[in-house]
Amino acid sequence: MAELAYYVYCIAESASASQLPIASLPAAIEDNSKLEWISINTLAALVSQVPRALYSEENLAEHLTDATWTAIRAMRHETVVEFVAKRATVIPLRFGTIYLERAGVEQMLNEKTIELASMIEQLRGREEWGVNVYSDRAVLLSSITSVSPVLRDLVQRAEQAPPGQSYLMQKKIETMKVDEARAAVNRIVDQIEESLKAQTDDARRLRILKVETTEHGELKAKFAFLVKRANFEEFRDAAERLAQEHQAAGVRLELTGPWPVYNF
Amino acid sequence: MADFDQILVGEEWEGNELSLLETLDHVLNRGLVIAGEITIAVADIDLIFIGLNVMVSSVETAQEVLSKRQLTE
Repeated sequence: MAELAYYVYCIAESASASQLPIASLPAAIEDNSKLEWISINTLAALVSQVPRALYSEENLAEHLTDATWTAIRAMRHETVVEFVAKRATVIPLRFGTIYLERAGVEQMLNEKTIELASMIEQLRGREEWGVNVYSDRAVLLSSITSVSPVLRDLVQRAEQAPPGQSYLMQKKIETMKVDEARAAVNRIVDQIEESLKAQTDDARRLRILKVETTEHGELKAKFAFLVKRANFEEFRDAAERLAQEHQAAGVRLELTGPWPVYNF
Repeated sequence: MADFDQILVGEEWEGNELSLLETLDHVLNRGLVIAGEITIAVADIDLIFIGLNVMVSSVETAQEVLSKRQLTE
């Protein structure tokens, strides 16, 4: 029989774990294996056994280049973590945390009890929501004179200037539009971040993996917010107000969630 | 609302490419890193590396595989 290792999905309180019997949980990351809670003191790690060879560092790197292999397992990981997160306060672990022995998991829970317990306290009653900000360049450029105070001012002065001077100012306005558009998007993104930060317990600006152009325009920023469940309606309303406020500038907001709290 | 999108995670995976990509991004690139014997050194597998389009079609394949398996269980 192949040697096994322990794959860890997430960490919750033992009390919550006992409310979530294994039979009720989704499928484990590998076939022919069951989820299992390993409980030490007040904490419990959700694990399942995996073939050691499959997840050894050199083999894993190889498998991860196989997108189908990775996608199936990433989705199973997520399904398990989401299931628990809907029913208990949970610390999600990154995909691919492996212990060779059960004792290793126990030792980790033991050594990190205080740290993990305090993380759980910080996450209790909270969810992660993602906000993606898109900018439609064509819409922005066509509305930039009303969005940018500098341009607005210049346009007004050009209208009042004598024809020759007005012509030159028009030229200048055209060349300034692109730079102003970029500045306007940055300003709007910062404003969205500040406004939503004020509504939430914590905020993270995430890196953009690939510049995506969608029907909403180009992805300009991604945020994660830690939101109290009780405050979700206010957070949502604030996001909606921002969406309306910046719609004319071609900016669109997208809210994703609720996520297990991966970013905090 | 026409000017506002809200994507719910979980149930709405199907047919929503963005939600799938968001999910993969969360699972593969984030979450608590604790010292396991093997914490994926591959922590930085970017979706760029795998290629977004490949990833989307893989997820669709993966979903088919998973749903067939569920049916046969």
